[in-house]
Amino acid sequence: MRLTRRDMLKLGIAVGGATVLPGGRLLADGGGQSGGLGSSPRTTPFVVELLPGRGIPPVAQPVAPFPTLPDPGNCVNVDGSTAFHVHGPRVVPANTEFFLMHERPVEHSFHPQLPPNVLWGYDGSIPGPTFIAKIGTPNLVRFVNDLPENDPVGIGEPITAIHRHGGFQAPEDDGYPIDTFCTGQSRDYLYPNILEGDLAQNAESTNWYHDHAIDITSMNVYRGLAGFYLFQTAIDTMNENDPPPALGLPSGEFDIGLVLQDRLFNEDGFLVYDSFDHNGFLGDKFLVNGIIQPFLRVARRKYRFRFLNGSSARVYQLFLSNGQPFVAIGKDSNLLEHPVTVKSFRLAPAERVEVVVDFSHSSLKDEIFLVNRLDQTDGRKPNGLVSPGTPLMKFVVSSNAADPSRVPDDLVLVTEGPEQLLPQVKVQRHFKFERSDGAWVINGDFFDENRISAKPRLGEPEIWILESGGGWVHPVHIHLSEFFLLSRDGVPLSPIERSRNDTVLIGGAGVGEAVKLLIRFNMFTGRYVFHCHNIEHEDMRMMAQFEVQP
Amino acid sequence: MSGGTAGDGTRPTVAAAPVVAAGLVLLIAFAAGCSEHPAGGEAQPPASRVAGAPGPPDRVALIRDQHLPNVELTTQEGRKVRFYDDLVKGKVVAINFMFATCRKACPAATQNLAEVQDALGDRMGRDVTLLSISLDPERDTPEVLRGYAQAHGAKPGWYFLTGKRDDIELLRRKLGAYELDPVLDADKTQHAGIVILGNEPRGRWKAIAALSKPVRIRQAIERTILPVTEWPTGEAVVNEAPYEESEASKRLVEPADLSGLPLRD
Repeated sequence: MRLTRRDMLKLGIAVGGATVLPGGRLLADGGGQSGGLGSSPRTTPFVVELLPGRGIPPVAQPVAPFPTLPDPGNCVNVDGSTAFHVHGPRVVPANTEFFLMHERPVEHSFHPQLPPNVLWGYDGSIPGPTFIAKIGTPNLVRFVNDLPENDPVGIGEPITAIHRHGGFQAPEDDGYPIDTFCTGQSRDYLYPNILEGDLAQNAESTNWYHDHAIDITSMNVYRGLAGFYLFQTAIDTMNENDPPPALGLPSGEFDIGLVLQDRLFNEDGFLVYDSFDHNGFLGDKFLVNGIIQPFLRVARRKYRFRFLNGSSARVYQLFLSNGQPFVAIGKDSNLLEHPVTVKSFRLAPAERVEVVVDFSHSSLKDEIFLVNRLDQTDGRKPNGLVSPGTPLMKFVVSSNAADPSRVPDDLVLVTEGPEQLLPQVKVQRHFKFERSDGAWVINGDFFDENRISAKPRLGEPEIWILESGGGWVHPVHIHLSEFFLLSRDGVPLSPIERSRNDTVLIGGAGVGEAVKLLIRFNMFTGRYVFHCHNIEHEDMRMMAQFEVQP
Repeated sequence: MSGGTAGDGTRPTVAAAPVVAAGLVLLIAFAAGCSEHPAGGEAQPPASRVAGAPGPPDRVALIRDQHLPNVELTTQEGRKVRFYDDLVKGKVVAINFMFATCRKACPAATQNLAEVQDALGDRMGRDVTLLSISLDPERDTPEVLRGYAQAHGAKPGWYFLTGKRDDIELLRRKLGAYELDPVLDADKTQHAGIVILGNEPRGRWKAIAALSKPVRIRQAIERTILPVTEWPTGEAVVNEAPYEESEASKRLVEPADLSGLPLRD
């Protein structure tokens, strides 16, 4: 199928560099909203191809083992606090793989029609290098802060903490928001890569790592500090040629992480961030893996796409322009129990949805667009579905290729789910995420590292109710453990989120004001945070912590 | 437990040198009265753009033009001042919105700022300027605000400001102290209770809830917006707020309560 100009207009695909929205409204390539800061310059969509080294980040490579260091304890955060978890050198098992990752400035091209911008990247890569961990092999990652102390751009502060989002790791390795390291310092993170609760069902699939420093996370992530952290497991071997019981999902060059972000630029093409907007920052340029509206050449076969919403506040509802469905296979950190075929799916900030898209029914030269049809003009909530929406990237069917990959009907066997755990529940907790006097609170409180809001006991499942109010949506992320979503207030659960999640959107139409979830914390005791992942809200302290009790 | 001690009982061995070095770089920038890009960007890779092409935006100018309108205001002493030229330019400021008859969040917020003022000691007025802008400018005359300031023990360096309603509306929007919901936004008793913190010459701005603990507001001011030479060393202010535990969220449930929950298939 080749699109005519009329088709493209129907789809809202940029014609001559602008997008036609319903009602004839014309927006510079992509639409969206930019608050009071004007709009970005026009860019021609789909001119940059995603290729290894340009949008497809390198795989992080292990280095020779090195002696681990004690944690720095004297990096002063923007609120005057210093690290809480200050531990001695990590003691690592003999089979640990070591990695060295420098946070440093890098000149990055978002688009050839814009000048290069100086971003901050893990190892200078946008997105950061992709880690591929093996279950059973711990990783010791030393992150080194080589960011300038006196940065002329002024977006971000060179104070960093690393959170492996969705990861199962000790409190001192979780990127607890005040556990920071400053320019010239480093911090060693030990990721055990073990099965949570020794349960095969808890083998993880797609984590991501990003900055988590108190009060400044939004700016530091906006500046580039984010990357994928993937897992090779007993069944998800990341090799499509492996025979069962390996799943045989599309692998190698056919397994691609795609992080969706929005950005705003000034008239000269330089990145803009509004530090006066606490509602949630929205850009009017749509990036996939750091490139504005790129294209990807694909072969006529199945692909595994790991979608990540790396935006501050924007929620997406994704469709394929040819009406083809997605076969969803994963939500957040885990694979689903069974694949689910969906026409579209919602992706709130920090959520991941893994899908398989089969291009074998397409013809060579077909062009298929990934389209976001959710309109959003402020950080409060999306406005609703629009037609045709905004194309985020283009798939160009370019070649034929063998396809030994499979999508089995059974992906993960959940042996300890709600059926087994609900009868054990003795504690229910209720957290209200509210707007209060111009800021955002959880149960009336702003985050304070000296306040513990819940003390769940190790291994004892609990029900948590997360409730929003006042017409705001909040993507809530709970650290340490994935949870089973049990119900949404008056709204059916989507088939994708009926399995495990580490982030859930609450509040607003179509989402329900409150969700009920089942969570159990295993193996690690200590302090972890949970918070709104609209990062401006998080930075305004819409965050609380629980302390897992032995 | 304070966060300053190592978990294994030993002090961390990483020296404070990087923080000190940061201080020197910024100190130079401040000594030069920098409203331009500081010279200390040595870690910046060389720009590969053609000569004469526009460079990255001057963040200080950008913020001035987009967020700091130079409207005329009147202080509690009856002095006419310009918001940008006289109150913000070259300064470290903490800004909130209030009005004298407000009975909801304002008294607590003003009380918090008064505690911050006292904690700042002789830095008030010299290193930090507090700006409290009235949302009820017709009733909050300079005389009313002078009485309010005195009642809260305001010292030199804390300005209570009134002016034309339109100018104050403009300020409120530009500084991000508004509600997206127009009904809430029109209700000044629901006004955004945030303190906007800015280091104008550095181009660094953030906000913190006005009802945060005063120690948080003071620490945020000290670390975020004071000149680097005035930054706390960390240990003096480490996690000093009292430890709190609340399990208010918790309710014990009987397993029978759960029978109504939908099970997944």
